[in-house]
Amino acid sequence: MKKLKNVIKENKLIFLSILLYAITFFVSPQIFFKSLEITKGFLIQMLEVLPPIFVISSLIMVWIPTEVITKAFGKGSGFKGKLLSVLIGGFSAGPIYAAFPVAQSLFYKGASVENTVIILSSWAVIKFTMFMVESSFLGITFASTRYVLTVPFIIIMGYIMGKLVSREDVLKELNNRKVEYKSVKDVLRELPNMNCGACGYKSCQDFAEGVMRGEVVIDDCAIRKRAKKTSSGLQERHQEE
Amino acid sequence: MTTLILVIIAVVFFGFSIFKSKEKTKESLKISKNLMATTFVEVIGVMALVGWVLAMLPPSLIKQWLGNSNGIISILLSATIGTVTIIPAFIAFPLSESLLKSGASIAAIAAFITTLTMVGFATMPIEFKFFGKKFTLHRLWISFLAAILIALLMGVILG
Repeated sequence: MKKLKNVIKENKLIFLSILLYAITFFVSPQIFFKSLEITKGFLIQMLEVLPPIFVISSLIMVWIPTEVITKAFGKGSGFKGKLLSVLIGGFSAGPIYAAFPVAQSLFYKGASVENTVIILSSWAVIKFTMFMVESSFLGITFASTRYVLTVPFIIIMGYIMGKLVSREDVLKELNNRKVEYKSVKDVLRELPNMNCGACGYKSCQDFAEGVMRGEVVIDDCAIRKRAKKTSSGLQERHQEE
Repeated sequence: MTTLILVIIAVVFFGFSIFKSKEKTKESLKISKNLMATTFVEVIGVMALVGWVLAMLPPSLIKQWLGNSNGIISILLSATIGTVTIIPAFIAFPLSESLLKSGASIAAIAAFITTLTMVGFATMPIEFKFFGKKFTLHRLWISFLAAILIALLMGVILG
């Protein structure tokens, strides 16, 4: 019973939609089939977009050194970092939910909260291909005015977010989730997967196996530990690197 | 078109990765698998819900709501509709064009398009997974506010 409850809790969105669809089917089959069709369209797009996005995000994780990302997008990256973030967002492709994995991998590798927000927002709004579509329907004046206004706002949004939310806030929330681990895979999912080796194990995979064997606890992971330190301590450490 | 670009980037990067190191490539595939496991169910749930909302709320109804009102209320209303829905561009732009023709204000259309793309209410559960609640909720209200300001400025400049 408890297990079933957990399964539902973890997948509440799916269960909610199954319930809604079931009700709709009896109340109005027409709307039911229409929603199915729209959802199908979304899912096809998702299947096209997400696999390459996952591959790209994980390759970033594995290949691009933390120092490079920190230098380009970290706290001290200044104007150049902001410009680069806008461009990354602008040249990217795919819907906003495709931006999350990529932005998260950059964030883990040292991008600041401010630049993460800029990447996410410009990914969503600033699209060179979309600009063409927008101006063909609504006129070039409309589209270009909207773009010219949006870019400064995105920079301001990043600035405000950087003041409101600290890096440590995000890391803490991501790390404090759920403590029960059923398999190595579960542990791995909670790890940064950067294979930094600071825990003494060769890779996150080895460390996760160690957690399952009870040799270490998950918070022995150096990156997780660091996330729990105070904000000032965290920043100092970053500067030392 | 956009998917093609993505696939090409992924393939080139991946090819480079295999060429450089099989070990690291394997590692990256493991990470991809984890990402997939955590995201897919969530994204499918979100899509199903949005599909349902869109079926209940056909473009004709949205048009009825936004087509003839003006002033700040229509801006807020269109911003809200843009926030809670995900509408693909190929529907959103023609819809906006017909809204403009049927009398909606420039500011309302700007609010609709900007919130539609920038403020992701529907994708919130996915964002929670990747960045946590604090980050997501703050980003949501700040972008909503920014979208309203952009819309108002658009109204002033072009209206």
